Amino acid sequence: MAFAKQRFWLTFGEDLCQRPIICQLARSFDLAFNIRNAQVTQSTGIVAIELEGEREVLKQAILWLEKEGVTVEPVELSTIEG
Amino acid sequence: MQTQFFAHLRCRECGRLYPKEAIHVCEWDFGPLEAIYDYEAIRRHVSRKRIESRAPTMWRYREFLPLEGEPSVGTQVGFTPLVRSERLAKALGVREAYVKNDTVNYPTLSFKDRVVAISLSRAKEMGFTTVACASTGNLANSVAANAASAGLESYVLIPSDLEASKVLGSLVYGTRVVGIRGPYDKVNRLCSEIAGKYQWAFVNVNLRPYYAEGSKTMGFEIAEQLGWRLPAHTVIPMASGSLLTKIAKSYQEMIDTELVEKAPFAIYGAQATGCNPISDAFRKGTELVQPVPKPQTIAKSLAIGTPADGYYAIQTMRKSGGAAEDASDEELLEGIRLLAETTGIFAETAGGVTVACARKLIASGKIPKDGTVVLCITGHGLKTAEVLTGVLAPPRVIEPSLREFDRLVSSDLAHASIPAKMET
Repeated sequence: MAFAKQRFWLTFGEDLCQRPIICQLARSFDLAFNIRNAQVTQSTGIVAIELEGEREVLKQAILWLEKEGVTVEPVELSTIEG
Repeated sequence: MQTQFFAHLRCRECGRLYPKEAIHVCEWDFGPLEAIYDYEAIRRHVSRKRIESRAPTMWRYREFLPLEGEPSVGTQVGFTPLVRSERLAKALGVREAYVKNDTVNYPTLSFKDRVVAISLSRAKEMGFTTVACASTGNLANSVAANAASAGLESYVLIPSDLEASKVLGSLVYGTRVVGIRGPYDKVNRLCSEIAGKYQWAFVNVNLRPYYAEGSKTMGFEIAEQLGWRLPAHTVIPMASGSLLTKIAKSYQEMIDTELVEKAPFAIYGAQATGCNPISDAFRKGTELVQPVPKPQTIAKSLAIGTPADGYYAIQTMRKSGGAAEDASDEELLEGIRLLAETTGIFAETAGGVTVACARKLIASGKIPKDGTVVLCITGHGLKTAEVLTGVLAPPRVIEPSLREFDRLVSSDLAHASIPAKMET
């Protein structure tokens, strides 16, 4: 099993701000997570998170977050420029 | 020589200090790292006279750049013209207008040569032999060209569906171009993983604190070319928002080191309406930038849906008394034409956005009509010439007959206000 540690910015829209998304993430996937930074208003939530675990589980977790409507970006953000 | 001025890297969020290595985010809170200098030492060392005695390149401000030795890549980059245009001022409805013309930046005709020159010089200092970037255009061209001239190996990652004409501008320099299939966010994530795995100098990832500082030179040049004074109003295109924050930083550094008199400077950001996460957040009065998952604009060089410096760009605009604006594709095409027809400068789509937004900011009174405005034009129009297909009237074609030509000119004169001078 290949383990990986990855760092992301998660962005939540207004409809997701009241849902316990991180809690559901922790219960559904065997990953260690560490929140490093967060800012939440009524309309937007931005969370800096480090996820560590088996690479395939990590991938599945990202897919699940995206399916739920969370924007998942690497901490580097705009690596592709014009 | 430079060591005494470039002090360290610092987290913009928590202020923790870091060594001058190839790192870009704070290990504690993921805040971006930024180059910090000993401004007191710079103030004692630099003077207008000393800077003016140096070659006309971006390196005349080298004390303000994050190198430890002398620059070794892109030594001829920068010091592009600052053009005053009464015709543009009149068209925009403002007293005085200047264009900072980075369409003629050397060697790849965009402001990216500035950021690449500093990041590759720093990469060589740190012992890297391979440099890389992920780009849809200008950045790729500049990394490929500057790496070629410096003898560095280079990798350029692109989305696989990029137009062939844009890829040629990198391939010609012998760089290794790799197309990546899939939607933009997946490509972006893979680039981040590659940057983490391979120990290359990824110019806008692990070298970002160095790379971004190159943008300051555009601001230094503007102030020097205005006769060592700060412009009251500067309009800057925004993709990641980095250029805007760095031009503001350069103005502040010039005040702090007494190169210019302290004066208010308002900073305005310009985006395309089809990808306007920063201007949208500014308008809504928040600093939290909502990503734009699918940018829809012909201004591809500004189409960054998750701008890394969006938060800081908004803070800069607010603090300086500036504002954000955006322009539709139709408005930016008009902007390209307006700039070309009044100044003779052919800008790429991002330039059209800047002109169109400046026009709207002036019309709405956010930039006062009796003010002085500087427009930062960042790339040459030949890079995105295809957007004008079908926009400009085709040339009129005649038979090889002087009579036909006379008829054509007579028709023109009938519609023109200025009489023609003809030899008889």
